[in-house]
Amino acid sequence: MSNQKKRNFQIEAFKHRVVVDPKYADKTWQILERAIHQIYNQDASGLSFEELYRNAYNMVLHKFGEKLYTGFIVTMTAHLKEKSKLIEAAQGGSFLEELNKKWNEHNKALEMIRDILMYMDRTYIESTKKTHVHPMGFSLWRDNVVHFTKIHTRLLNTLLDLVQKERTGEVIDRGLMRSVIKMFMDLGESVYQEDFEKPFLDASSEFYKVESQEFIESCDCGDYLKKAEKRLTEEIDRVAHYLDPKSEEKITSVVEKEMIANHMQRLVHMENSGLVYMLLHDKYEDLGRMYNLFRRVTNGLLTVRDVMTSHLREMGKQLVTDPEKSKDPVEFVQRLLDERDKYDKVISTAFGNDKTFQNALNSSFEHFINLNARSPEFISLFVDDKLRKGLKGFVDVDVEVILDKVMMLFRYLQEKDVFEKYYKQHLAKRLLSGKTVSDDAERSLIVKLKTECGYQFTSKLEGMFTDMKTSEDTMRGFYGSHPELSEGPTLIVQVLTTGSWPTQPAVPCNLPAEVSVLCEKFRSYYLGTHTGRRLTWQTNMGTADIKALFGKGQKHELNVSTFQMCVLMLFNNADRLSYKEIEQATEIPASDLKRCLQSLACVKGKNVIKKEPMSKDIGEEDSFYVNEKFTSKFYKVKIGTVVAQKETEPEKQETRQRVEEDRKPQIEAAIVRIMKSRKILDHNNIIAEVTKQLQPRFLANPTEIKKRIESLIERDFLERDSTDRKLYRYLA
Amino acid sequence: MRRSSSKKKSAESVATDLFRSASSKASTKEMDRIDQLFNQYANRSSNLIDPEGIEKLCSNLDVSHTDIRILMLAWKMKAEKQGYFTNEEWRRGLKALRADTLNKLKKALPELEKEVRRPTNFADFYAYAFNYCLTEEKQKSIDIETICQLLEIVMGSTFRAQVDYFVEYLKIQNDYKVINMDQWMGLYRFCNEISFPDMGNYNPELAWPLILDNFVEWIAEKQA
Repeated sequence: MSNQKKRNFQIEAFKHRVVVDPKYADKTWQILERAIHQIYNQDASGLSFEELYRNAYNMVLHKFGEKLYTGFIVTMTAHLKEKSKLIEAAQGGSFLEELNKKWNEHNKALEMIRDILMYMDRTYIESTKKTHVHPMGFSLWRDNVVHFTKIHTRLLNTLLDLVQKERTGEVIDRGLMRSVIKMFMDLGESVYQEDFEKPFLDASSEFYKVESQEFIESCDCGDYLKKAEKRLTEEIDRVAHYLDPKSEEKITSVVEKEMIANHMQRLVHMENSGLVYMLLHDKYEDLGRMYNLFRRVTNGLLTVRDVMTSHLREMGKQLVTDPEKSKDPVEFVQRLLDERDKYDKVISTAFGNDKTFQNALNSSFEHFINLNARSPEFISLFVDDKLRKGLKGFVDVDVEVILDKVMMLFRYLQEKDVFEKYYKQHLAKRLLSGKTVSDDAERSLIVKLKTECGYQFTSKLEGMFTDMKTSEDTMRGFYGSHPELSEGPTLIVQVLTTGSWPTQPAVPCNLPAEVSVLCEKFRSYYLGTHTGRRLTWQTNMGTADIKALFGKGQKHELNVSTFQMCVLMLFNNADRLSYKEIEQATEIPASDLKRCLQSLACVKGKNVIKKEPMSKDIGEEDSFYVNEKFTSKFYKVKIGTVVAQKETEPEKQETRQRVEEDRKPQIEAAIVRIMKSRKILDHNNIIAEVTKQLQPRFLANPTEIKKRIESLIERDFLERDSTDRKLYRYLA
Repeated sequence: MRRSSSKKKSAESVATDLFRSASSKASTKEMDRIDQLFNQYANRSSNLIDPEGIEKLCSNLDVSHTDIRILMLAWKMKAEKQGYFTNEEWRRGLKALRADTLNKLKKALPELEKEVRRPTNFADFYAYAFNYCLTEEKQKSIDIETICQLLEIVMGSTFRAQVDYFVEYLKIQNDYKVINMDQWMGLYRFCNEISFPDMGNYNPELAWPLILDNFVEWIAEKQA
């Protein structure tokens, strides 16, 4: 063709139709077909890739794509059918190997064929939207081999059989398994799931159902859990080695369900090996295992927690209501602390510090501590014991640890105001007898209480400390201004502010002359500097140190209570005294006097006085004289009775009554506060709000609240609404 | 020079004047009679009808002096002090009843009772009865014995069963030595609202006075 003029290059198409020789297509196809055969027969070495590619290319170009495609499918199908017969013929163990071998061969062949047919893949198949060569190769394999009836079931059963063998401890060819399972995965997710995974999961479910039943009949809880854990690990391992990673979650669910979820209750409640046993015997490892396993199933941890809670409550209830255990308050509280430490350790070691378990522990303790109405008293006695002697020699850090533990128990108390009352009494005794181990420790505890309960709770307690300090200063001032008194008996006075200290009625008592003179001097000194105040001597709370000389020359210093001093001083002027004489001279009330005489005359090792008759109790006809033969290893002998003790029944009643009385104004104050801000409120809401407001101090009784409301109505603080009887109004 | 100013009066106003003067004359006459009646029972020196006088009045009216109608009369009079009627109170009451003779008074009593028993008035009367019994200044509560008597008088005829039970309870319980107005009114509500003796619709968690909660509990225990 000559190009006239300078024009853009154009290649013109043929002007006539180029008809390809029809036989051309057949011939080309035959070449390709033969090639495919050779590839399948492992005889591809002599083939020219370039030639075959060109042939395929030409076929497609000349519009024979369909023929090529169809031919390819037919040929491959025929081969696969042959292969499946061979596979099926394989016996026993070699079945799987044959299958695997043929699969690998097929894959290799498929790749080669795909390469050869690439042009068709990219053009003809694209435009006709037919299945591409490679996926088609897989589908054909699937249809003709895997789903071939004689292979299908046998394949599945062989695989499941091998899994079963492995589960029972035999070693299997994992590599082979992996290849075959990978085949399923390659054939498509639905093939994997339908033809393998689902039956696998079903069979596993059956297997574990049976095994778990066997185990649960024969093993104890700890062993069972070990076995379950082992199986779980195995299955995860199995997936890692030859299954689709997506199967991990599914198979672990199966194991969890069959081995754990289905037997949860039975395991936890197993006698002599279940949860309670483990808790009692500190079986941390088993508990940890149980936690980890049960965590995997729905309500697993809930079950564990519930059983632990009811066990704790039961144990706690027994602990606090056992009269034996309540004999010694310090023991009682120590036991509570020990139990709490124990369970704390369980939760942190075995339960991974799980917050829900912490909460369950706290609520259980709160529940049973309050079952014993004396808990507040006992906790205060425990603290008293520690602050008197228990903390002696402890380092600061350790002191804090103990006090924090005590605070923890304190938080559980519902009747915090009862604790406050006892704490005040015990603190008073400690301060006045000078028997506290560490001032710092005392103050530290007050700070903790203040942080917990607010300023009002501790203001009076702090007042007590201030009084002690002030008294020291006062004493210095007194002796400073009366230097002539330094020769006689030494007087130490603590001036107590009435509001801060626990109130005790003043008890009459005739002080010996030497002492009362001093007391009067102090009184006038004090009132000289503090006008407008009133001083009352609390003779029932004082102590005295007396030097005594006995018959054989024994000298001792006796530490006694004020009452005891009064009695003893009488014997400076008389050898023998009757009970009545002593009573008359000292004017001490009978019950106190009897107790005082008892500790002077009837306690072995401390009987500085002798009594006739030698009975244990003090009778009003008894007579007393000095025990000239008194001996003691120590120079200083302590006979005082000022230690804080567990209250007697009548004392307890009295304290309880005082607490109840104190609560009344608190309830009323709360009611007035609430009504003042709300103006109108209905009955149920008042009860709820008042209870909530008072909760940090004590649990308010609805009946008591009602009584207080009625009292306030009577005193015109509130009124009932005239139309709606459920409402109360605030009267300004 | 005009000596007298003639006030021109209409016939109507003349008639009204006449009527007024006549009625005022009549009312003055009525008041006189009322006063006369008062003087028959009043104590000369104190110018009050005292308990003795009241007793005499009762016997003349043919009514027991613990009869509720005397209390109703006191209510009508708005009498302040129990056992005494002042002149003013007497006038107030009898004028309202339109009774200026003993007979008329006697006849007025049934009407009075009907009036008081109307629900709107009875609550007021009931509260009045309580206040009437407060004898000391600043007294706010009434002792149990008097309450029992008062209950009998005021509610005995209408709420027989409740009164009997409550009186029995009041006598044996120890929580309260006196009853205040709030509790008194609570009892009235109780009789009116709560079915007796089953008390199925009583809810102790509502704002009923505590004494009634205890009363209900006591009955429940008795019935068990």
